[in-house]
Amino acid sequence: MAVIYFDNAATSWPKPPEVASAIIDHARDAGGNPGRAGHRMSIAAARLIEDTRDLLAALVNAPDSSQMVFTLNATHALNIALHGLLRPGDHVVTTSMEHNSVMRPLHDLAAGGVEVSVVACGVDGALDLDDVRRAMRPGTRLLVTTHASNVVGTLLPVAELGALARAHGARYLVDAAQTAGVVPIDVEAMGIDLLAFPGHKGLLGPTGTGGLYIREGVTLTPLVRGGTGSDSASEVQPEFLPDVHESGTLNVAGIAGLGASLRFLSEIGVDTVRAHELRLVARLVEAASDIPGITILGPRDQVRQCGVVSFTIAGATPSEVAQLLDDSFGILARAGLHCAPSAHRTIGTFPDGTVRFSVGWFNTDLEIDASVAALRQIAAWATRGVAWTA
Amino acid sequence: MDGLISFFASHHAIRAEVTLTRAGLAARLIPGPRELSPNCGVALRFEFAQRHAALAALAAKHVRIDGVHEYRPRTDTWGPPHS
Repeated sequence: MAVIYFDNAATSWPKPPEVASAIIDHARDAGGNPGRAGHRMSIAAARLIEDTRDLLAALVNAPDSSQMVFTLNATHALNIALHGLLRPGDHVVTTSMEHNSVMRPLHDLAAGGVEVSVVACGVDGALDLDDVRRAMRPGTRLLVTTHASNVVGTLLPVAELGALARAHGARYLVDAAQTAGVVPIDVEAMGIDLLAFPGHKGLLGPTGTGGLYIREGVTLTPLVRGGTGSDSASEVQPEFLPDVHESGTLNVAGIAGLGASLRFLSEIGVDTVRAHELRLVARLVEAASDIPGITILGPRDQVRQCGVVSFTIAGATPSEVAQLLDDSFGILARAGLHCAPSAHRTIGTFPDGTVRFSVGWFNTDLEIDASVAALRQIAAWATRGVAWTA
Repeated sequence: MDGLISFFASHHAIRAEVTLTRAGLAARLIPGPRELSPNCGVALRFEFAQRHAALAALAAKHVRIDGVHEYRPRTDTWGPPHS
């Protein structure tokens, strides 16, 4: 049975073949520790790191590549930003559609005296800018929002939110876990001060890679301190970027793979990826909408949606549906709460959750059609109680 | 190449090499002499006579440097014996 992979919101699969080649090349030819020595393998590793950093900076229009810090994933980047910026007494505004990668650090910070306001989104995951405006106060330190919901794919108006934050003198942190590499991002045009993103989802790189863009003038206390290869005579953490947030040896093998996937992506173009995913989502939603018993959640306008679609089927739990999809059709989807209980409460699917399909660059129209046919069979089984025969 | 640029961090050393090479200036990363470059392990050799063009190119690309030095390699030849 051929596998249809619809879990790209968790991590993308497959990766471009160049990714594996780059990791192997690194292990074989450039295995030094970047920035720690002057020998050829150390320099080769440092070149590879800086090449990848340049590609990331170019991808989101960061003015200077030193403002781009490597992290292990988006969660790591969000923690650097939130813990590095917020102090007891600060006020932060966020939304009810956030992933736990934002909610859990904020919970922890709230226990330490940071005041958190959560703006409720609509049942389709949409955010009303007026609600955000009302939540902002004089002296609000930070606005943090996702770029797109990992549950229903709803895109938030980041450019408008960036302008709103700036008008209130607050910094703007964007969680681009679902959009980096699949929706165009311009940190300058969108007024984004801090951008956290994974390398292993839309950027098509290996797991263990991610990044944080930090606008010039935004100072974050480092989350981790240690060896950086720079200022080695000092026992005090350097204050300059990117070293201040890159203590310890980087994931050079992973970053080698990420560089390869970024080159692959830059040849295709993020606009082309976006158009491809929009078409797939529209095809899925249109064809699946008339399946008896199915409820498709999220915006009914795919222009406001990334490649993430959530649904439920009457008479079957999300985990039953996901297991049938895998066992009987080879369709790999994710059921449950998707690490975002607040988002599920917002859309009315807590605590049962939903089934989530998340498409990527390598998915095809044929896969969408096959999955709709599978859902039709599963829905018939669930709603009529007929014996399962597929 | 008789010039040497030292750096605070390898990020800037690598960027400097790319910047100078793209500007058509000779540049090569070497293990940094400890007394000049205790920081990131690498330093950049370049033509000292081209330092004005080199520094302008680096400044334009916001590459941060530690210092510019004239490079005088040590030799293995012994001088005449003192009597």
